Amino acid sequence: MRSSQRGTKAGVAALMSFTLIAAACGGNDDGTETADTDTTEADTVDAEEADAEEADAEEADAEEADAEEAEPVAGDGDGEAPEVNEEGQEAPSVEGSIPGGSPVMGGTLRYALEADVDGINPTSSALSSPGLMMGNVVFDTLVAATVDGTFVPYLAESLEPNDDFTSWTLTLREGVMFHDGTPLNAEAVVKNFEIQRADPLVGLAVKPFFPEEGATEIVDSLTVVYNLADPNRYFPGSISGQLGMIASPAWIDAAVEDPTLNQAPVGTGPFAFGERSEDSITTFVRNDNWWNGDVYLDAVEFIPVTDPASRNDLLFEGEANGLQTSDPGSVGDLLDDDAIQSILDESGEESFAMINSTVAPFDDIRAREALALAAPIENYRNLIGLGVARAADSAFTPEQQFNNPDVVQAGDDPEAALALVAEYCAERGTEENTALTGPTCSDGRINMELQWSGPSVVQTRIAEILDEGWKAGGFNVTFQELPQDAHIQQAALGQYNVVTWRQFGATDPSTDNVWLLCRTIGGISLNWPKLCDEERDALLLQGQAMENGPERIAVYQEAEKLINESFVYIFFVHTPWNNAFGDNVRGVCDRVAPSGEQLLCVTNGRHWFDTTYFEG
Amino acid sequence: MKFWLSRIGGALALILTVSAITFGAMNLLGDPLFNILGPTAGDVGNPESLEKINAAKEQFNLDEPLPIRWGLWLGDFVRGDFGPQFSATGQPPVSDLIVERLPRSIMLLVMAQTMATLIAVPWAIWSASKANSVADRTSTVFTFMMIGMPTFALGVILKFVFAIKLDWFPLTFTANDPFWSRVYSMFLPALTLALPVGAVYQRLLRTDLITTLQDDFILTARSKGVSRRNVLFKHALRPSLFSFITIFGVNTGALIGGSLVVEQIFRIPGLGSAIVEAILREDFPVVLTIVMLVTVTFVVLNVAIDLLYSVIDPRVRAS
Repeated sequence: MRSSQRGTKAGVAALMSFTLIAAACGGNDDGTETADTDTTEADTVDAEEADAEEADAEEADAEEADAEEAEPVAGDGDGEAPEVNEEGQEAPSVEGSIPGGSPVMGGTLRYALEADVDGINPTSSALSSPGLMMGNVVFDTLVAATVDGTFVPYLAESLEPNDDFTSWTLTLREGVMFHDGTPLNAEAVVKNFEIQRADPLVGLAVKPFFPEEGATEIVDSLTVVYNLADPNRYFPGSISGQLGMIASPAWIDAAVEDPTLNQAPVGTGPFAFGERSEDSITTFVRNDNWWNGDVYLDAVEFIPVTDPASRNDLLFEGEANGLQTSDPGSVGDLLDDDAIQSILDESGEESFAMINSTVAPFDDIRAREALALAAPIENYRNLIGLGVARAADSAFTPEQQFNNPDVVQAGDDPEAALALVAEYCAERGTEENTALTGPTCSDGRINMELQWSGPSVVQTRIAEILDEGWKAGGFNVTFQELPQDAHIQQAALGQYNVVTWRQFGATDPSTDNVWLLCRTIGGISLNWPKLCDEERDALLLQGQAMENGPERIAVYQEAEKLINESFVYIFFVHTPWNNAFGDNVRGVCDRVAPSGEQLLCVTNGRHWFDTTYFEG
Repeated sequence: MKFWLSRIGGALALILTVSAITFGAMNLLGDPLFNILGPTAGDVGNPESLEKINAAKEQFNLDEPLPIRWGLWLGDFVRGDFGPQFSATGQPPVSDLIVERLPRSIMLLVMAQTMATLIAVPWAIWSASKANSVADRTSTVFTFMMIGMPTFALGVILKFVFAIKLDWFPLTFTANDPFWSRVYSMFLPALTLALPVGAVYQRLLRTDLITTLQDDFILTARSKGVSRRNVLFKHALRPSLFSFITIFGVNTGALIGGSLVVEQIFRIPGLGSAIVEAILREDFPVVLTIVMLVTVTFVVLNVAIDLLYSVIDPRVRAS
């Protein structure tokens, strides 16, 4: 039985840093690089018996909710939550998805991840979706996203902005301890922040948004003030993911001295690190003293299985109890199986081709436009999306409030591309393409390099499909398949022409500023295409300071139009994420904040395990 | 003595040559700085990054000429210091990785060789005793099938049939399972390696046995009334093992190669998958160490087999 509930979420502003890191980790089913952003819209597909237990779960949640008064964290200056979902949006919901009944203690849940990670340290590791998933079990975040698109305190007791949203005061809960016995306090939060900011990679997503001096102030042992570089009403979202995961300061110090400790994280989360054998298994065991209530599972084991079909087999055969996948074929297979419970999230990141605007020929907008026009969009969507991944025209799905319906991805028009290519080559055909170390044009055709992360069968197929279209549009395409690290490095350093990529996906656009602002361009850039547009910057910064409503939506729709017209991204599909479980897994979506709000269930392929249990 | 000195000298020369070629090739492929520092290595316009670049160059001797670096690395290797892994998130010792992964690969190889031997020897004896019969010819067809089938195809077929369809074996290997569970989950991967190798052993041993069975001393034994079983096991088998033992040693190297694929198919985090991952992320010290360990193992095994020849056939020792 498939019960689907689709809601447009707005205001789930996810954190920027982990997106960077996700991009630096990739390892996805389709081989593209990933830059995660939070999302809340989830379609759910449940096993039949699950429905009956839902009422019980809601009742239990309500009881827990009474225990504490709700404390919204983001506000408009008077302490109220930002009204990010006001415009008739249907709030994201997890109703009917892997519900709980009467939780049963015990059992070890084995979960298949799409890849392993090279460390589980939120201050320095490149946490892609698998890394964030493991982070979710061992760390808690300062703030958590709710199912209705707002943010509530989690490790924080409260988070209050000043009048102009340039400063946020965070007060921590009292008595929370890290797994190593050290207390959670303001110093620990600032230590995490400063180590993140100093990290060569993670820091790229932090530094541009805080002043060099005085970014944080310790008020007392439990209170920290964040001072921002610009007004931001949606700052809480940025500490609801990797930047908000707080690690033990003692462990951070030890890991700086001995990087092997990056594999053995210490947080405050519902599970403590058990053991890890890289590329085989990572185990976390129940934290019996968790500050936010009972944890039901004895342990969670993560096993990385890079091949999506093999990952599915493990779940079908019962050797794994859950998995994550974004491979359209695997997603379809899981949805077709009645014995599998799926949580489908179609509103996450987008798959696209990304163009470097600083290297000839694509420093010329005519060449970029020609590439977009020649792109075989329909073929990509049919042959790679397989009818599972939805077509994307921008970073927003059609039902998301910020979506600009007038923005349409150009493509499938090789004739128009040929005219632009001829014009470009006649004028600039003798210049050097530094990525290829050769001329920009040969025989009236533009020479270019397409780079992707491999080896990946799907990515190679994508390259062939794109080559076919671009060839017809007047491009000579040279392929370059690189190991993931080198691929990301070249993108960060701007040493490429065109790459296949995956990122965006936040329904609150402020989250994606890190990829778009001029200030994130440098020797190492997170604005990967290195396109600086002052007009776009002004809109993006204006948007993050505005209260949500029609005016803000109009601002972002205008920014979206500018992005579309800059031709640095050729959008293909919205990535479908499926978190699937065996039919005896319960309670995945029963998470509740200390203040009683129901918390977000899944986001960009990852979820939490603190309320998960096996049916008795 | 001269024989042994030349064998050992040749072995050392081979090891040195392999290490020089591998070291040179790995260093020509890319800039290790990127593996150590990530994108910072390319951010030369930033004084902060430049400082890190210079520090890393000094720490890892990256400014030294290639032959000096090779010499330094080789000296460390001989002393058992395999150096640090080149990773942007830290440089843990390569030896940590080897200590973690090597036992799994050894387990796989030992199981595979044991299975191959257990399959090949009785099968070859049976086949030789029925030489040129319909049963022997049928078994010959089967051995050629096994030899001709690529390991990756055989692995996928075995996995599909025995792990997915019949559910007799687990789909994957899990590092922290109890010992016997790991042996159980290693069965299919080991069988994948053992079947083609066992088929090769069978062919060689069968042929040698048939040849031996035609020798005069066998005829003499038979004429003295020695039973067929005793002729096969006591008289014919030992002198027929020469080629089998040779190929057993050579195949250990081939099995290490095959294990790269098998470890991927069955998700065994051993040396095979470690070297694949290290090549993909251009982690030079890991690749070098594994290549050298495999080379040394291969060479030592072959020298040991030379020694075994002299035990099996005294004529070798005499010559």
